[in-house]
Formats: sequence, structure tokens, C-alpha cells
Amino acid sequence: VAKTSLTSAPWPEVPKLPDPVEEAKYHAAEVVQKVNGMISAGQYGRLFAVVHFASKQWKITSEDLIMMDNVLEAECGDRIRLEKVLLVGADDFTLIGRPLLGKDLVRVEATVIEKTESWPKINMRFWKRHNYQRKKIIRNPQTVLRINTIEIYPCLS
Amino acid sequence: MVVLSGARWLRSRLTDRFWRVQEVLKYARHFRGRKNRCYKLAVRSVRRAFVRSTKARREKKRILRALWITRIEAASLEHGLKYPAFISNLVKSQVELNRKVLADLAIYEPKTFKSLAALAQRRRQEGFLAALGDGKEPEGIFSRIVHHH
Repeated sequence: VAKTSLTSAPWPEVPKLPDPVEEAKYHAAEVVQKVNGMISAGQYGRLFAVVHFASKQWKITSEDLIMMDNVLEAECGDRIRLEKVLLVGADDFTLIGRPLLGKDLVRVEATVIEKTESWPKINMRFWKRHNYQRKKIIRNPQTVLRINTIEIYPCLS
Repeated sequence: MVVLSGARWLRSRLTDRFWRVQEVLKYARHFRGRKNRCYKLAVRSVRRAFVRSTKARREKKRILRALWITRIEAASLEHGLKYPAFISNLVKSQVELNRKVLADLAIYEPKTFKSLAALAQRRRQEGFLAALGDGKEPEGIFSRIVHHH
């Protein structure tokens, strides 16, 4: 039969997805075990993580510095554990959290290095011809953290 | 004897005019033309510069977000997905990464971004099947909502 413009639907044909039961078995058997094996064998290089901290998301690795624009209630030199990890990745595998990863799976440690104020930012308002100008100098407190380590443990299921 | 006002030879004179002028000129030193040297011209330029910097701090957030969106759009088109499909499917799969981090991953972690694009594509197709199939067929794996306690 000849094909007309109405033989098939106007939207693109959706390919058939694999059976969910079979796919769950494949995933559990092959993928999870392989990744668990790689983690316990230590076959990963540098790990990076995406962490939600101070109402911002940061993409961090070990030994890097983070500066946040607020006060942290911890003294300089305190070790801090950053929970709320959204994503962890290495060269060959990535663990994507929905939305967060478990606390028994990832551990991110950081140290508070310094607590200072920001450079003096100038806020100025001015209306012309109205003799109105206001100048304000704003200094925000800032904290600098150094990310020490990112560790993952082979407890996937 | 009680003295209420100073004697006539004691006048109050401005002695630190130099430093008051320098306070303004130090912000104008990198300007072009006479406004980096002459106080009268510098005052106006410095005032406009301050006002513009305050307004720019609010615009910067919008500009950066538009930049991130452009970069994510370019990266997802490389993997065959459009930006609205990518973002909406990521959100439906309960992956709460913001645009800043997605743009950084697209630049520095291409393999991770490819896996995220594949996740979004799979979720998209499960959504199509759920919409077109109308029940009596197994729900997709990636469409299941994860409940935390």
C-alpha cells in the first residue's frame, strides 16, 4: 500500500524500550558489580564531586579552595564533612544522585582556612538634577575552605 | 576670664584638601582623558562609575545564567538533544543540578555530560511511551520517583 502523509503519526516513531525486569537484572548483575569492583579495587584516578553547600552548588576536587560569602560557625582549622553530595565522578564511571547520594557512599572532607571580609564594595545611588546621592561601603564576611579528600565506598546495590 | 569664641586671627582653614581630592582621584586613575587628572571632571565620572557598578552587580546574575544556558544548549545539541528537552527530563528524573554546574561539566567532564544527556533521552522516551501507550504497559525504570526518608 502506498504511504501517504497520514499513514504514520506526525510525531517521530518511539523505539521500543527494553523490558524493565530484564534491564533491572542486567543493571544489578553487570553494571553495579563492575562499578563496585572498580571502587573496591581502587581503579579510579582523581574524583570530582558536585556538592550543595551554602545554598550554592560547587564542582570540587581534592586540594581545591572554595570561598563562600557568609559566616560559618566553625573555627579556623576545623575539619568539616560536606554532606548533600549530588554527583561523584571519576574517569570511567559517574554516580548520579537522585537528588542526593547516600552518606554511606561518599565522604567529602574540608578544612576551614580563613575567615575574612570581602573587599569594600561601593553601593551608590544617584538621581540627576535632584541633588540626591547616597554612597555605602559594604564588606561581606567570607570563609575559605580547602577540600581535603573525596572518598567513595563500595556499597552500591 | 571666660572666652566664648576664638580670637579673630584664629580662622578655621581647610588643611587636608589634598587628601580629600585624592580619595576621589584614586578611583579615576585608569580612566581616559582629563577625567583621570582633573578633580571636577573626575567627580562626575567616578560617580557614574559607582552607580553603573551597583546596577551591573544585579545584571551580572542574569548575564551569567544566560551564558550557562547557551553553553548547555550547545553541549546538549552535540549529543542530539535540545535544551528544553534536556533540562525538563533531568528535572523529571530528580537530578537537581543547576545550570552553573551543568555548564562546568559540559566543559570539563564531557563523559559525565554525555551520560546525563543519555539519561535525559531515555527519560524522554519513557515519557512518550507513557503518553502514547496509555496504561497496561510497564512504567519505565527511569520514570520511577525515588522517595527519601
